[in-house]
Formats: sequence, C-alpha cells, structure tokens
Amino acid sequence: MLSSWTFFISTLVVYFGVDLLSGLSLNLQFGYAGVINFGYIIFQAAGAYAAAVVTLGPSGPASFQHYVFGAKLPFPLPLLLATAVGAALAGVVGLFGLRRIRRDYQAVVLLIVSLIALQLVQADVPLFNGSNGLVGIPRPLQSQLALTPQGYQWAYAAWVLALCALVYLLVRWLSKSTWGRSLRAVRDQEDAAASLGLNVTALRLQVFVIGGAIAGLSGGLLVEFIGAWSPDAWGYAETFVIFTAMFVGGVGNYRGVLLGVLLVPILFLQLPQFLPQIGYPGLTGSLEWIIVGLVWMAILLLRPQGILPERRALALPDLSREAA
Amino acid sequence: MTAPDDMPGPSPAAPAAGPPAAPVLSARDVVIRYGGVTAVNGLSMDAFAAEAVGLIGPNGAGKSSFLAALGGQARIQSGSISLAGQNVSRLPAHARARRGIARTFQLTSEFSGMTTFENLVTAGHGAAGASLASVLAHPRRSRQQDLAMARRAWEVLERFELADIANAYGRELSGGQRRLVEIMRCLMRSPTVLLLDEPMVGVAPHLVDRMVADLKAIRDDGISLIIVEHALEVVRELCDRVVVMADGASIAAGSYEQVVKDREVQAAYLG
Repeated sequence: MLSSWTFFISTLVVYFGVDLLSGLSLNLQFGYAGVINFGYIIFQAAGAYAAAVVTLGPSGPASFQHYVFGAKLPFPLPLLLATAVGAALAGVVGLFGLRRIRRDYQAVVLLIVSLIALQLVQADVPLFNGSNGLVGIPRPLQSQLALTPQGYQWAYAAWVLALCALVYLLVRWLSKSTWGRSLRAVRDQEDAAASLGLNVTALRLQVFVIGGAIAGLSGGLLVEFIGAWSPDAWGYAETFVIFTAMFVGGVGNYRGVLLGVLLVPILFLQLPQFLPQIGYPGLTGSLEWIIVGLVWMAILLLRPQGILPERRALALPDLSREAA
Repeated sequence: MTAPDDMPGPSPAAPAAGPPAAPVLSARDVVIRYGGVTAVNGLSMDAFAAEAVGLIGPNGAGKSSFLAALGGQARIQSGSISLAGQNVSRLPAHARARRGIARTFQLTSEFSGMTTFENLVTAGHGAAGASLASVLAHPRRSRQQDLAMARRAWEVLERFELADIANAYGRELSGGQRRLVEIMRCLMRSPTVLLLDEPMVGVAPHLVDRMVADLKAIRDDGISLIIVEHALEVVRELCDRVVVMADGASIAAGSYEQVVKDREVQAAYLG
C-alpha cells in the first residue's frame, strides 16, 4: 500500500516538474513577450520524439515500430537533443508564425500548426509510427544506478526538480535583464517598442526559440520517464491546461506559475481520481476539460492578474546622487 | 505639393549669411495609399535641426499617415525619405529609430505594464539593451549599463519634475502624464528628429503651457521637431514653420501668421 503511494507521489512530482517547465516556458513567451503560443505542445512533443528515437536504438525492417534517426545515445545526450530539436522547430515555426501580424492571428496560426502536426504524425507510419506511437523507451541509467523501482522513481523526480530549479533561475534572470524588459515593452506596445529601436520580430523569435528549447527538454524528460510516446497524448488541449495554470497563478510572475501548476494540472486534474466515478466511463475525464475552461474564464473575469500578480519593479536608485 | 525650397520663412538652422544648413530630415514626393485610398499624395518637406515644424490640416488630411511614413510605421508607395542625407525609405521603424528618429503616437503608447522609470530605461537602452547575446555574454557590463541608464532616467524625470511618478505603472498615469512619459522616453534616445502626433490630446489645460515650454527647450537643444497638432494656439506658440495639409497634399507653408491668412487654408478648414 505504502509503495503504491510513494510510486504515485513520485510520479506526480515528475509530472509537476514537466508541467512547471511548460509553465516557465509559456510565462516567458506570453507573460513577458505577449506571444500567445497555442501550439506549445508540438515543441514538447518534438523534443519527446527526438529523445525517444535516440534512446530506442536503430529501427530495423523487422522492428514492430517505425521511426527515423534511431540511435542509442548515452544519458544525457537524448535530453540535450530534445532541447535542441524543440528550439530548432520553434525557430522554423516562429519564422513564419511570428510575422508582424496581429497577436490573436498569431495565436490562431500556432493553434492550427499544432492541429496539422497531430494529424500528420497520426497519418505518417514510416516516420512516426502513426497513432500507435512509440513504446519500450528505456529509462536513462536505470541499470547503472541499480536502485529499487521506488528509489529510481525518486531519483528521477529529484533529477527533474533539479532541472526545473535550473530553468527557473535562468528564465527569472533573463526576465529581469534588460532583454526581459525589452520583451515587456514589446508585449505592452509593439509599435512604440519598434519606434525606440527594438527589433520586435527578432525579440519574439528569440523568446520563441528559448521557450521551444524548454518545451523540448520537458518533453524529453517526460518520455524517458513514462517510456512511451503516443501522438494522442500531445493534443492541443494540454497547452490550454498550462495556460489556465499560468492565469490562475499569475501571468508574469514565476512564483505564480509554480502555484498555478500545483493547483491546476496536479491538484485539480489528479483529485478526480479519488472521487467516485459518475455517469458512464470517461465522463469524469471529459468534465475535467470543461471545468478547466470554466476555471480559465472565471479567473479572467474575477482576477485577471491571477493569485500572485506580476511584481512591480521598483526604480533603481541614482547611485551618483546617493554618493554625493 | 510644395517643394521645400518654396517654403517661406527662414529656418533657425539656416543662417542668413553663408550656405544654408542641410536638412536633418527630408521627404520628397511621398505617396501613401491604403487600398484604393490615397492618404498622402506627393508631399515634400524638410526639417532642420533646432526647428519645430507644425503639420496642420482638417481631419483626414493625411497628417498622421505622413508622420507614420517618416517614422517607418507606414509604407510609402513612392517618393523618398532621407535622414541626414541617407535614404531611409525602405528601413523598418526600429532601424530608423536607431538612426535618430523618435516619435510619439496619436493614442498614447506608454508601456502600460511597466513603471515610468522602466519606460525610460528601456528606451534609453534601445537596441543595446534588447541584445540577448550581450546579456548572456556580459552580464556584469549589462548591469553597469543599467545603472548608468538609471542615472540618466532620473535626470530626465527631474527635468520634467516627474520623479514622484517613477514607480507608477503606465496604466496608472493621467493622460497628460502619459504624454510626458512618451516625450521623456523619446529624449532618452537622444534623437535628432522627434515626431509628435497630437501631443496635447488628453493633456489638462493647465499643463499645456508647461508642455509647450518643455518642447521649446527640447527644440532649443538642437532637436528637430515635427508636430501634428489640432490646437492652433499651440502651433502658433511652438512652431517655427507650418505646413498645411488637405487631401493628402500640402496647400500652404510658411510661418503661422502667413498660413492662417491663406484663403485656401481657410477654405480647407471651413469647408
């Protein structure tokens, strides 16, 4: 009984870490630069696919599943590759998706890209193994560490949390830098930002690529943990869960994002498992999506700044005057 | 269309003796069309250092479109725009800003989710602050530049006696304060040309005189001002030259006193 609980909680910790990385990525993109990345999930999925195929080993003609670039790279190269693939795909999508069109149009373009990507992956068996996805992805260092299954679970959870801490510090530092301030200027008034010498398109592309890299990393971490990659699990609705978490916690506040991820995808979406099933099988799961949408709308109406709003950056002191 | 040479009234930058000073900004035969509508139809004008030029005319005359063309926010279909002798017609807005053009907008464009201080510092850093490579490669230098920019921001805030709103968000400011933040932000860029689109809209009447004095001081610092303004008393007080536009073209140019007597101008205003 105890072991099943520790298994469940350690799994939740990993999911929390993966969702937190997504929240940090989207907060940098949307909270700071105003980029509404409704196609976020494809960058995460691409990172996951990249990590999976370079962990599975080469795919032969007799193999029961098909994929490309099969290899068996040692830890942590699959994760690095996942990060690079997320960034590269974001660069390509950003080049045409982030042109100087209205932001809501950009959001729609990115949403459509994610829908097309899902259809493409499901339809293309030689490249992505179609709807079956990939299974049997080995967990990194499992044999080398020689831990009990529970021990490995916790070690992996700690590894994910360590990476989260690293990414958290990185995005927070970038957001507070002069570059981060320029992103906020673009977010608030892009014409005025351009009239002050800021290259709006370049800034958006940069933040999109960094966000894509984090998305790729989070996908790689998830796929190496669960050992399977299924296209159906990377639907656009997953992106909206993270957006909801960000709005609940507080857009533009990384601690708010952390809180939102704890509340929405972890607490809120896991709690129903412990409630008695209602109606026909699957009804609870469907209701969850509806309620996520309602929560998002409710927070926009009642407290659009979220539980922890963006913090005011107080003016730097005039050191020359203080010295005098 | 009025050729710049036809514009009466000496420029402050063009002394009576000696060769005339070269214009800082020069527009030639600028045409702007939105679909089938011609907003600006072959307008030419020059702007000199330490000079304020007023662009006036009835609604729909094409003043704001022309200003947007100078700033790079609107594309021109034909003609040319030169800054310090270099053709900038095809440059995007951010590239023109880096060469010395700053502007304010008809609707105030403060960064609403940033404090006044951040508005100023961001403007001061401009492209250098937005460089990710510089932030990653030289974080300490970037921090030092931020402190230097903070000093400059305080100077500008004190010049405009607005140090008390340094930590107020853009969205918390009054209409007049937002206009001043826009102007202060432009000054942080040390521009050679400042484009002002209806700077007095939303400004409380008791603040207008003070803003006119501020703009005169900016002009006297050597900056060329081009101002679209409906308040004619402001134009009279502030502008060295006035260009009157109607239907996308210049119908008169000269000193304020000269153009208001022009019959075509009176007809354009009175309909």
